[in-house]
This record gives sequence, structure tokens and C-alpha cells, in this order.
Amino acid sequence: MVVSPLKPLPALPAELRAHLPAELRGRRRDGVRLMVIDRAARRIEHAEFARLGSFLRAGDLLVVNRSRTIPAAFPARRDGGELVQLRICVRHTDEWHVLAVRPDPPHANVALRAGERLRMDGVDTIVRGRRADLPLLWRIDAPSDGLERLLRTGEPIRYSYVPAPVPASHYQTVFATEPGSAETPSAGRSFSWELVLALQRGGIDLAHVLLHTGLSSLQDDDVDAEHPLFEEWFAVEARAADAVNRAPRVIAVGTTVVRALETAATGQGQVQAMQGWTRLRLGPGSPLQVVDGLVTGFHEPQASHFDLLRALLDETLLERAYREAIAARYLWHEFGDLCLIL
Amino acid sequence: MQLEGKVALITGASRGLGRSLAIAFGREGAALALCARGQKALEQVASEVAGAPVLAVPADVRSMRHLDQLVALTLDRYQRVDILVNNASELGPTPLPYLADYAPAAFDDVLQVNLVAPFRLTQALIGSMLLRDRGVIINVTSDAAVSGYPGWGAYAVSKAALEGLTRTWAAELAQTGVRIYAVDPGDMDTDMHRAAIPDADPSVLARPDDVARAFVRLVTTGAADLAGQRLEATAIGR
Repeated sequence: MVVSPLKPLPALPAELRAHLPAELRGRRRDGVRLMVIDRAARRIEHAEFARLGSFLRAGDLLVVNRSRTIPAAFPARRDGGELVQLRICVRHTDEWHVLAVRPDPPHANVALRAGERLRMDGVDTIVRGRRADLPLLWRIDAPSDGLERLLRTGEPIRYSYVPAPVPASHYQTVFATEPGSAETPSAGRSFSWELVLALQRGGIDLAHVLLHTGLSSLQDDDVDAEHPLFEEWFAVEARAADAVNRAPRVIAVGTTVVRALETAATGQGQVQAMQGWTRLRLGPGSPLQVVDGLVTGFHEPQASHFDLLRALLDETLLERAYREAIAARYLWHEFGDLCLIL
Repeated sequence: MQLEGKVALITGASRGLGRSLAIAFGREGAALALCARGQKALEQVASEVAGAPVLAVPADVRSMRHLDQLVALTLDRYQRVDILVNNASELGPTPLPYLADYAPAAFDDVLQVNLVAPFRLTQALIGSMLLRDRGVIINVTSDAAVSGYPGWGAYAVSKAALEGLTRTWAAELAQTGVRIYAVDPGDMDTDMHRAAIPDADPSVLARPDDVARAFVRLVTTGAADLAGQRLEATAIGR
């Protein structure tokens, strides 16, 4: 799909990139800010995330992603001795698709060679070649003890705006169950169980689906603007499908949940239980079938995240929200503030 | 088969009560995730569990990375945990020194194993339990938590704190389907007991296999009104 670019937007000031999670900035996990965009009224309000419940009503269904984040960046040594960092994007049973970067910031992309051998913590793997559809991703043989190996040697993927390592537990949402996400499904990261249990007491329902995220960035603006072109594993179980089909209003927590639910949509405004790889691409001109609202973080406009928002917001409102988020000094990225679109 | 279809994670499963719990839960049909520091002893216990699936993960519960591995591998294998037993315990230096003489590093170590690890492991798993609104967590405590025996310093402090952790957590979980208990197994004929009280008469000590049956009763009867309390194994379900 060819997407018309938005008008040039002001650049994101560097100091608005959240460099630590709220709970390491002396606040609570849920102590972030919330921008509320009311699409019908075309109104933007500013609030605290802990007050989320005051913008919802009994019967609303919040759908969260229960995927657990894995330490998806791990070191490998090339035959010549050069150390590289591999970042897992897609894990198939016998083949991983990885981005190869330099081990030190700013982690520039590294070109590997088809057929070359990489040594990872005592075992060898072979680079099979580039992915035909996404040449920045390298296909490598998956080690037989893949997940165990990652858990032993991997680190969370960290971008330059997070200057120091953050303990792995802060990359997990409080819903984290089956491991598999290369990066945190970050819209859910600010939820606390104290908040969720209070919402439930207020009649707001909770359902969960699974979508293992790939990389949010292949570190190439043109490629990132088209992302995600790669497949992500997802599961929508019967229980979640029933809850979605019954709910008067479905609010997805994160674009990963939108992708999972819209993949499982039947075309008649319902979802069915389903699991598999999704390659669904959402954007302007692809109206959402089942998702009525979204809790999401603030991510940069060249990322495809913005495209998905355009399935929910027209350009005028999206641009207004972007400018207001910068003017009101919201924090961006996976440790930043949140936005509720209704 | 009272635990058919359940998934139980047991720490410190290579010896003593942990080993008996693994065998008893496995006999009742539970799928198991077991951890202990010693790989060989852990694999031995895994081989003694008849008929149930077993995931054995060598892990030192003091290590956050090891706990992450344990949790991730367990959830990868089974997609959920129904029963968590925080059983791994460390007694500290023996013969048991007075607090006045206790090596500070040893004190920290006992608290790491007996208090911090149960907090971390429970925190890592409770979200997946709350999503399903179902789960049982048992923290293994001791009468040292409530009695001031000379020499039991760090151990007693850690178990008293573990009971406090259990009470607070139970209050926070009161409206949910997840229950948390502290269970005192009583004096048992185990390596730890021999290390603490070398001259005890084994004939008056409970056998861990019998105590494990009380844990099965607690899990299966699921007494919600007992959540948060310190329970004595001998009194459960009697």
C-alpha cells in the first residue's frame, strides 16, 4: 500500500524521549500521563493515566497483549573475530530473521555474508542469506536450544534514547505470560494490577490475546515507514473472541492488539478464535472492523505506528494531536506517556 | 488424580519437602516445573516423578536472570502456572550462630533466598494468574517465624517477613480468584533439619511425603477464607 506522507511535522525534541520507565523515574508504574482524543467531539484532553477509568464506561472491554518480552539482542562473533549484535525480529522453528548491528551505540547496521558462520556462546550458526522481501533482515539457522540460549545470553533491545541498561523485568508488562516478543508491547507497560482491578470493579472488562512483536525499527527510515512488513505470531482464543463479540465497545491496549484482533475479524464486525502468523497491514483507508478505541504510546511519525493511527484518526486530528503532544511535553517511546483514542 | 490438568512450579525441588511435593503433585497428575541449584539431584527427582510431564530448570533463585529463565521456560512449555510453591529455603551458616556473631553477607544471602526470591517469583507469575483469575501460591514458612529461638536469626527473620508478605498480598488479592497461603510444614526429617538440630530424634519428626499430602489437600480444597493466614500442615484438611 502506498501511503501519502503527512505534511512535514516538527521534529521530536530529544529531551521528550523517555530514557527510563516511570517506576525508575521515582513514580509508580502507572504514573504516566494520558492524552485523551475524543474523535467524535474532536476534542483533546490532558489527564493522568491512573484516571483512565473516568474516560471509560461499564461494559467497555479492554484487550491486552499477554506476550512476554524475551532478551532478543545477543552477541555473535564473525569468523574474522568481529563482534556483532543480533536482534531477533522473527523466530520460525528452524530459522531466525535477525538484524545485525554493531555491538556499541549507535549500533549501526552491519552487512553479513550469505553462508558465513557466526559463533554464539559456544555454538555455530550459519547465515542462510537475506530475506528477499526485507533485505535488512538476515536468515540464520535457529540453534536447537534457541529460547534457552536467548534467556541465558540475551539482553533487552535498547535504542540510543535509553542511555544505560534497564533491568529486564522493567521490560515486562504486568500481563506477561508466554515469552516471544522482541520488544515490549509497550502500551500495556504502564498498567498496574491495582489499576486493572479497580477498573474491573467499575464494570470494565478485561480480555487478553497474544501477539509476539518483532522489531519496532530496522534502523532505516524508509524501511521503517513500511513496517511491519514481516509476520508476527498471534493467537486470539475463543474466550477473548466471545468477549470482543459481546462488548459494546472494544478498546485495544496497543497496536499489537489491533493487529491481532483485526486479523481475526470475520468481515462482519466479529472476531473468531484464530492463531497463526499475521501480515496484516493497517492504515488510512483500511477502517477497523472490531476495535473502537486504542490505548497507545507516542512513537515517531516515520514509524509505521503512525500509519495505524491513521486508520483511527483523520490527518487533521492526528497532526493536531502530534503538535499538542510536543507542546504539552508528553514523553515518547516505550517508557513514555500514553494516549487514549476513543 | 486430583491435580489433573494443573501446572505446578516448585522451587527447591531436589531435596526434602520440595522433592516430596514434586512426587506428590506429579502422582496427582500435575504437570511440573521444578527448579533447584543442583542439576544432578534435580534430574534425579524429575526421573522419580511418574507419569507427569516435568520441566527441570537448574536455577539459583537469588539470580534475577535465573528466575527470568525459569518463568519464561515454564510459560513457554505450559502457557500458565496454576500452583506456585515457594519452597526453596536457606538455613544459613551451621552450627547456627547468634545474631551478634552472624556474618552480614550470610544474613543477606538467607533473605535473598527465603524472602526476595519468593517476592520476585510471585510477582513474575501473578499477572498470568490474574489474567485467568485463578491460581494458588504457597509460601513455605516455619515456626521459627513466630518463636525467637537462639541461633535461628536470619532464617527466622526471613520467614517472619515471608508471612508478612503473604498477609499483605492476600489482602491485595482478596477480590480475585488467586489465593496465597503461608504453610508451616512442622519439624520434618530432612537434611535441613539435621543441619539445624543434629541431635533431634528422627522418629518424632514428620516425613516430608506425609506433609506433601497436606499441600495437595490445601490446593484441591482451595479454602479462600484461609488465604493470607499461616497454616500448619498437620491441621490442613483434618
